[in-house]
Amino acid sequence: MTLKKTLLASVIGAVVAGTTLLPMTASAETLRIGYAADPETLDIHEQLSGGMLRFSHLAFDPLVRWTKDFEFEPRLATEWEQVDETTMRMTLREGVTFHSGNELTAEDVVWTIERLKESPDYRAIFEPVASAEAVDDYTVEIVTSEPYPLLLNLATYIFPMDSKFYSGETDEGSDKAEIVKAGNSYASRNVSGTGPFIITDRRQGVRVDFKRFEDYWDTESEGNVTDIVLTPIAENASRVAALLSGGVDFIDAVPPNDLDRVSEADGVNLIEIDGTRIIGFQMNEERVEAFQDARVRQAVDLAINQEAIADRLMRGFANPAGQFSPEGYSGHNPDLTPRYDIERAKELMAEAGYEEGFSVEMIAPNNRYVNDAQIAQAVSNMLAQININVELRTMPLAQYWPEYDTRQSDMAMIGWHADTEDSANFFQYLTFCFDEETGAGQYNYGSYCNEEIDTLVTEADSETDLEKRNEMLREAEAMLYEDTGFIMLHWQNLAYAAADGVEAEPIVNAIDFPYLGDLVINRSDD
Amino acid sequence: MIAFLIKRLMHAILVMFVISVLAFAIQDNLGDPVQQMVGQSVPESEREEIRERFGLNDPFLVQYARFAKNAVQGDFGYSYFYREPALEVIARHLPATLELVFAATLIIVLFSVPIGVYSAIKPRSPISRLFMGISIIGISIPVFLTAIVLIQIFAIGVTVTLFPESTGWGAWLNDFFSTEGNMPSFGRGYDLVNVVGNWDTNLATWNGLQHLVLPAVSLASIMLPLFIRLIRAEMMEVLQSEYVKYARAKGISMRRVYFVHALKNTMLPVITVGGVQIGTMVAYTILTETVFQWPGMGLMFLDAINRADIPLIVTYLMIVGVIFVVTNTIVDLIYGLVNPTVKLTGKPA
Amino acid sequence: MSITNNSSPASASPSRWERLRDSYIWYSFKRDYTAQLCLAVFICMVIAAFASPLLAPTNPYDLSQIDIMASELPPFWIDGADDRYALGTDAQGRDLWSVVLYGTRVSLLIGFGAVILQALLGVTFGLMAGYLGGRVDTILMRLADIQLSFSTLMVAIVVGALVKATMGSAFYSQYAVMMLILIIGLAEWPQYARTVRASVLAEKNKEYVDAARVMGLRSKRIMFRHVLPNTMSPIFVISTVQIANAIISEAALSFLGLGMPETHPSLGSLIKSGFDYIQSGSWWITLIPGAVLVVLVLSINLLGDWLRDVMNPRLYKG
Repeated sequence: MTLKKTLLASVIGAVVAGTTLLPMTASAETLRIGYAADPETLDIHEQLSGGMLRFSHLAFDPLVRWTKDFEFEPRLATEWEQVDETTMRMTLREGVTFHSGNELTAEDVVWTIERLKESPDYRAIFEPVASAEAVDDYTVEIVTSEPYPLLLNLATYIFPMDSKFYSGETDEGSDKAEIVKAGNSYASRNVSGTGPFIITDRRQGVRVDFKRFEDYWDTESEGNVTDIVLTPIAENASRVAALLSGGVDFIDAVPPNDLDRVSEADGVNLIEIDGTRIIGFQMNEERVEAFQDARVRQAVDLAINQEAIADRLMRGFANPAGQFSPEGYSGHNPDLTPRYDIERAKELMAEAGYEEGFSVEMIAPNNRYVNDAQIAQAVSNMLAQININVELRTMPLAQYWPEYDTRQSDMAMIGWHADTEDSANFFQYLTFCFDEETGAGQYNYGSYCNEEIDTLVTEADSETDLEKRNEMLREAEAMLYEDTGFIMLHWQNLAYAAADGVEAEPIVNAIDFPYLGDLVINRSDD
Repeated sequence: MIAFLIKRLMHAILVMFVISVLAFAIQDNLGDPVQQMVGQSVPESEREEIRERFGLNDPFLVQYARFAKNAVQGDFGYSYFYREPALEVIARHLPATLELVFAATLIIVLFSVPIGVYSAIKPRSPISRLFMGISIIGISIPVFLTAIVLIQIFAIGVTVTLFPESTGWGAWLNDFFSTEGNMPSFGRGYDLVNVVGNWDTNLATWNGLQHLVLPAVSLASIMLPLFIRLIRAEMMEVLQSEYVKYARAKGISMRRVYFVHALKNTMLPVITVGGVQIGTMVAYTILTETVFQWPGMGLMFLDAINRADIPLIVTYLMIVGVIFVVTNTIVDLIYGLVNPTVKLTGKPA
Repeated sequence: MSITNNSSPASASPSRWERLRDSYIWYSFKRDYTAQLCLAVFICMVIAAFASPLLAPTNPYDLSQIDIMASELPPFWIDGADDRYALGTDAQGRDLWSVVLYGTRVSLLIGFGAVILQALLGVTFGLMAGYLGGRVDTILMRLADIQLSFSTLMVAIVVGALVKATMGSAFYSQYAVMMLILIIGLAEWPQYARTVRASVLAEKNKEYVDAARVMGLRSKRIMFRHVLPNTMSPIFVISTVQIANAIISEAALSFLGLGMPETHPSLGSLIKSGFDYIQSGSWWITLIPGAVLVVLVLSINLLGDWLRDVMNPRLYKG
């Protein structure tokens, strides 16, 4: 399974190479990054966010990491095996040192896992892990309370921290290991990881300087970046302008309105990646009786032309979806493609007794997802074809989530990215029968409930035979497709852009964490 | 004079007080900042904890008192989005806006005075009529539309194929009306020169100036016609006055009458009206900066509204309030200096 | 003016208007081709806008008529145009000619509505300030000063943002027309108030007012029945300019996303929604509604200019 790559990058790069390059200097391997955000803190367990995970990949290393094709690549763990249903034994890489000079041992991994279980943001994700134990210096056993097939997915979140460095008390007498959200803890100001880069200077919100870690264990990596200057540029337009003007070499989140501008510009390359964030609509069955009827839900799905939205509104910056799981995910079911059939939709509406249609209210954000408001309007127009009259309201993100939480509208737009990069996550948050106690269906806006699917997904989540598990998830996707519990629209793409010579294409991925340790800069082609 | 300044100070404090109370009163409706600070899968209980710690659950008066106490000491709170003191965020965006306003003012002064004077001296000449016609069209085009048209013509480019390409004159006309369109229309450019602190200037380099042209022209377009008409009207009135007639009769050269005697007397009302208008240009920067993605305060303010960044919104409104009061005060002071018969006590702007 | 003349104000004020029209305005209008053209254009646009359900080939509010596959089609004179859509289509696939007609109607509605509100507020406050004087005058005029010093657009933007936030964008977009009338009305009343106050101060000490007072009429009655009619001509002149301003303010608010929702667009929100596509070459989505807006505002402004010249002898002299 490979990801399709929309690759203007290497093509344009080859053509324009050498025309407008900056002069070679001693600092040629300095990478100047303009990201939308800088890391909020230096404590990687304080906040679970894209910015923090990107930082984790710079200053730390995970046990394993995702490849572009959603395979696991050994990093600090070199081997792993399932000892029994609930225990996995992992062998650690030897001779890895932390920035502080301490050597990485199994104790550090155990310490890190225990800390993750304390973290407010990670606690929920690490719920399945019961305990971790160091067998010897380079072997760790991780025990789950139930059989749990996604332990390796979790291992991508385990960035071993230097337990000796983070233990003890600070001069003020507080525990060095404590996690304080948006506070001023020791860990939020001091770092010792095993990663390719050391922080040399940091001014919150202004810039972060990194220097390559001389004793980095991965000597086979071809990465040649010696220094990184990360500048947060929150405004989309300024970020693009900074790249086009040569102020930075690499930016994330190129806004769709600027895709053309960036791909046509000289000296920079646009890198588009098929994303894994599903965009869709939820139908509120509590407020609209008609939505309780599977035929009506399917009619809604049939009335929406996903291809047209991806093609016209998104200008190809999205892949039309018929299921949660993008290609590469465990539950991706190649049979489930977007359906569009107005006539059939009208028939279904008639069968369900809603030939005359009905009116609904729809809410959508207008600054969260790519072209969100326009998509919502297009969907309203399409639903009018089957006499569903939509009253659309769009609002900025800051107002959207509070509004969403009240569940006081009939249809709501949502985009979801699975933190575990696994299909089950979509179901658990978006379509599981809502249960306040367990937190299941936390984002199930419409109170859709299909216990069969829930049971199947729950079973799959304790099935450690991955082939069998994938089969179950594919089945769950098919059931949801049939029952139309969620209106899928598309997976929204990601876009990076880099200056010529910055060979970013191999190191960016759909997970949205560029592996900058492996980045090669090759500016000398004149 | 002192009484006047004190009165103005009270004025400013009142404005800032009203703004801050208003902004505080609506903050609950602006949205929940915590929603944007944490990940999507963070449960409600954790969010509640953060809200508690930031004091977002306290009663209105408690929150306001805390804000007011800090604000008096120059601390307007942290922007939720930038995670920096709101005042610093504004200070960083301020120079861009001020440069834009400055450039627009320069354009206005350079064009409005000669055009206004000319069309007052020769009100019936075709050129004057043309200027007057253009100026009323200028008033009728909203500033954002001027900006969009400028972008279309000078940044994107226009290819005209209206005339027959095969004929020589047709091709020439097509060519004449078509534009290249490679003017920058987007952001401040890269060649900024740091002057002092966080003030990077567009004015020092060719690239910087190029980026400044379109935004400045479109910002100026809203005020330029007003100034032309104002100067023309005032000048015509002055020219009717007895002393100009007298000066003319005395045989002083016309040039001297127009540009020394008449213009001087014209400028007084122009300065009063004009000074206030320059202040109000700050409002139009919101529109101009949005269109050109000019990273100044206006763009920042609109983003802050969408992000429910309450401290930043409040601070912006208060700063803008101060800017207005200050420009109005300066205008009144100048007016008072130039024309000592005006009493400065209590006179409103 | 004699006392008897003013004791029957109902007949006094209309006759004054008739006289004025008969004598000068009509004469000047007959000679001014620009004014005639502008009035013709303006009336045509008003009629077209309010007859839009009859003139428009599609109903842009009827979502089922919209086809996204027909989006971003160019107007008829450009290659690739579709016969069904004379002026092309927007990004959603709506017929541009139809949306522009409906949008003009929305813009006019808000423009007129806001001016009526401004006039009501401004005239009332202006009369009160001018006639009652004292503390009322001070407070009202100080309020007007502060608002004017902030620039009416700024006030409108801030009030718009705050109202939208307070009411929630749901409520706001549902009652957007009302909200915009309210916001623009509230933002611009000082223009009227100042003018009316000035005229009132000029009229206040004239004999007929004293006479009315001596006769024991209540001040409310004197203000509205006697003083107000004499301040009508400046109000009339301001009104034309204010309609143009209100239409522009509405467009600006909509352009910033604080105005009409895209499902019920005004000219301003059409310009806004088209702006996203100008970089990709679909200029007509934004520039056609833009051109309509300019023609509308320009014709009103030129009419206003002409009116001011006619009604204000001081300026006319030049």
